[in-house]
Amino acid sequence: MSSAAGALNVVGKRVPRVDAKERVTGHAIYPADFSLPSMLHGRIKRSPHAHARLIRVDVSKALALKGVRAAVTGEDFLDLPIDAKAQVGEGGADMWYIARMNMAKDKVLWIGHPVAAVAADDPHIAEAALALIEVEYEVLTPVMTLDEAMRPDAPVLHDHCFTKGIEPRPQRPSNIGARTLLARGDVQQGFAEADVVVERRVTIDTVHQGYIEPNAALAQVEPSGLTRVWASTQGAFTLEIQLAVILGKPQSLLKVIPLEIGGGFGGKIYAHIEPAAVKLAEKAGRPVKIVLSREEVMLGTGPSPAAQIEVKVGAKRDGRLTAIQGRFLFDAGAFPGVGTTLQMQACANLYQCPHLKLEGFDVCTNKPRAEAYRGPGGTQTAFAVEQAMDELAERLNLDPLEFRDRNASVTGSPMVVGTPFPTIGLTTILDRVREHPCWRDPLPAGRFPRGRGLALGYWRGTSMTSACHIALTGDGRVMATIGAVDIAGTRTSMAQVVAEEFGIDLADVYVQTGDTKSVGFTQLSAGSRVTRTMAAAVHEACQDAIGQLKKRAAEQLQCSPEEIAYAEREFRSMRAGGASISLQSLARATMLDGAIVGRGVSTRLPLGVEIGAHVCDVEVDPHTGQVTVLRYTAFQDVGRAVNPPSVEGQIQGSVAQGLGWALTEYFDYAADGWLRNASLLDYRIPTALDLPAIDCVIIETPVPDVPYGLRGVGEVPIVPVGAAIANAIARATGRRQSAMPMTPERVLRSLRGSEFGKI
Amino acid sequence: MRRLHQISVNGETVEVVSETRDTLLDLLRDRLGLTGTKEGCGNGNCGACTVLLDGEPVNSCLILAVELTDQAVVTIEGLAKPPALHPLQQAIIDWGGTQCGFCTPGVVMSASVLLGRKGHLSEEEIRRALAGNLCRCTGYDKIVKAVASVLAAVPGEGS
Repeated sequence: MSSAAGALNVVGKRVPRVDAKERVTGHAIYPADFSLPSMLHGRIKRSPHAHARLIRVDVSKALALKGVRAAVTGEDFLDLPIDAKAQVGEGGADMWYIARMNMAKDKVLWIGHPVAAVAADDPHIAEAALALIEVEYEVLTPVMTLDEAMRPDAPVLHDHCFTKGIEPRPQRPSNIGARTLLARGDVQQGFAEADVVVERRVTIDTVHQGYIEPNAALAQVEPSGLTRVWASTQGAFTLEIQLAVILGKPQSLLKVIPLEIGGGFGGKIYAHIEPAAVKLAEKAGRPVKIVLSREEVMLGTGPSPAAQIEVKVGAKRDGRLTAIQGRFLFDAGAFPGVGTTLQMQACANLYQCPHLKLEGFDVCTNKPRAEAYRGPGGTQTAFAVEQAMDELAERLNLDPLEFRDRNASVTGSPMVVGTPFPTIGLTTILDRVREHPCWRDPLPAGRFPRGRGLALGYWRGTSMTSACHIALTGDGRVMATIGAVDIAGTRTSMAQVVAEEFGIDLADVYVQTGDTKSVGFTQLSAGSRVTRTMAAAVHEACQDAIGQLKKRAAEQLQCSPEEIAYAEREFRSMRAGGASISLQSLARATMLDGAIVGRGVSTRLPLGVEIGAHVCDVEVDPHTGQVTVLRYTAFQDVGRAVNPPSVEGQIQGSVAQGLGWALTEYFDYAADGWLRNASLLDYRIPTALDLPAIDCVIIETPVPDVPYGLRGVGEVPIVPVGAAIANAIARATGRRQSAMPMTPERVLRSLRGSEFGKI
Repeated sequence: MRRLHQISVNGETVEVVSETRDTLLDLLRDRLGLTGTKEGCGNGNCGACTVLLDGEPVNSCLILAVELTDQAVVTIEGLAKPPALHPLQQAIIDWGGTQCGFCTPGVVMSASVLLGRKGHLSEEEIRRALAGNLCRCTGYDKIVKAVASVLAAVPGEGS
């Protein structure tokens, strides 16, 4: 095994993506680009009410329209048992909710909730057919905010939702799906011991992942029942599992073929259109493609949850933290199940503090179901806690970096959950920040007040399981089939691993993403797990294949396999005067002697926790509240950068998303549940002109017992962004920010001293 | 209502039937099979559908096919003669300026008109030229550097 410290030839080198030419020439195929003979076009009818009983859905007039071939409603879908679990990701998902999210039965729960779908000869006919579907509703009062949803007399979304995590079990259903508590020591005592205590209350609006490719899928049902789905998904296998449960089909009759995915960021994990596409295809007896409009993407898919957070932190005069307390309300949207535990851990894990009390609530409202978005929930909790820490440092007259250093977690110190930290490099990161010009150089004066902000980010990431297999071509090339969808240059990084292990050129490696019937089960491409866990699987598969080749070589060279050494395409007998045989000769012989198939599975790899520190300079226009980001530097420990341009790309892209969230992006809901800005004009994603150059400082503290020492990369760089901007604004203006995004209106209000953040 | 068009796409005159409601984007993708041009929003906000119309970048989702007369359309498929790559395409590869790739064709088309501009373009001017193309993966940094490298005719540092 190539050790983390060993010299590497391909892993760690800057290489262009193996699929880059297809991307720059327009040849990469995403599901919307893919068609089949006799294909139909599907469209989804959506609820105009945020909360209503579904009395009647009548598709007969739509079906009578010429060119309409099939229609489906909630009645076409199974009534699943409550709590039907499916292993989507680590925790799994309650498929009762996922099924109802895909097609309403009995009740609609947000504006945009699907109530029917049609398939027609062309998309225009399908669109016209939607208008002919008659739907009768009994409108109910919507619950749009966390405060409303938690009131004892609030209208309840789900009659079977009894808050989990409270003893004894509540007698009445409510909108609170779960309550989570993480505690250590005694916070009352901690605050009594503190010399300075800071309290902050913040709100964070709902934002969308904003992937540029609208969700699209194509489904085909063979007469035998075999169902193929060409999808834009972060997990082919986990999509197949969802389809199996929702449609009541055995997985032997399902095949998900992942095509290129035009961005996901956590938003393309759960099925939103595929079950309807399959049902329509089944009914019509023809393939059906569904491509969402941008408006539907914003209305109908799963954004990142809004949150309302109260934190209280205390420290001694010497800067030592004594207590961290927090109450975290997360807006789960239409169905309970939004995570709170990892999110709360994320904001407190980097600080060593004797007394902790973190309480989280998963709260339903009449909005789309909240789903993952890059370090899901971490950005929200960091916005609260990193501002409080910054304020604490300010009140203690301590440099914010030194304050963090004084309380920093190190390898072996207890995490929030009590277990010791695996190898981490937080203090190394802080040292690098301290000596970097972005921190050291004085901030030049500008036309308006300027400030420099620092914030830390932590994300745990996950490992789960990844599979691949490796085969040799007759001409001595190596082909790897991986079970993970490529969302971040995965094929390129895996080609580097194969080239490294076989000692061959990158050009002699082919890596493909398998479908669900051509490779072993692999969990989601999410949770900062793909590169690290798939690299471990590919590494193992290479070693397996090389081991098999050694046996073949040993037969040829008349020695035992243990006496064969492999390096740079040659299998050599280690006996005195030993002969050798080339990889190419053995590969050629496979066509007579049988294939070499190497197998690799990585399961529950040690975690590669992600830590980053961000430094930014901003200028705040006191007349308009406009915040301009002048400079941005992201420091991150990545264990080892397999392909540095990909790592930088992940960091820069994350920061860009974080800056959008920090300054301009939010879902603007009316009181009745309408989303008032469901377009990319009114929902402001940053353009090239809005962003500064984003500098990356890559630090490499390898994770022991993981091939190449890889850490997760892609999630943590969004986590500290909002807080870093808020801290910079505070340093520039003396005003703390209590709402994200920090739009000009909100910043201006804070400057004018009115109640922070209320518009 | 259907209509028969004769238009110039990627240097070739093609005859194509379109409906009055078809946009240039529909015509390219659905009638001519040129799926390199992407639809990200359908209302001119994201730039994924950018093509050149008589040498100027336009959002093809905002142009009705029936409006076209004798203008020449160039799409991502026609920017260079395969297997050759346009210098911008090569630079984006070298600098790592493409990730999910969905916005890339539109970005390349928007940037391609900068090559004809006289004089040095500042980073700000490059960013302004690309401001109509939303990218959610890269943070634009490597795209801007790639474009600047072509304009300065210096090779990328990517690999």
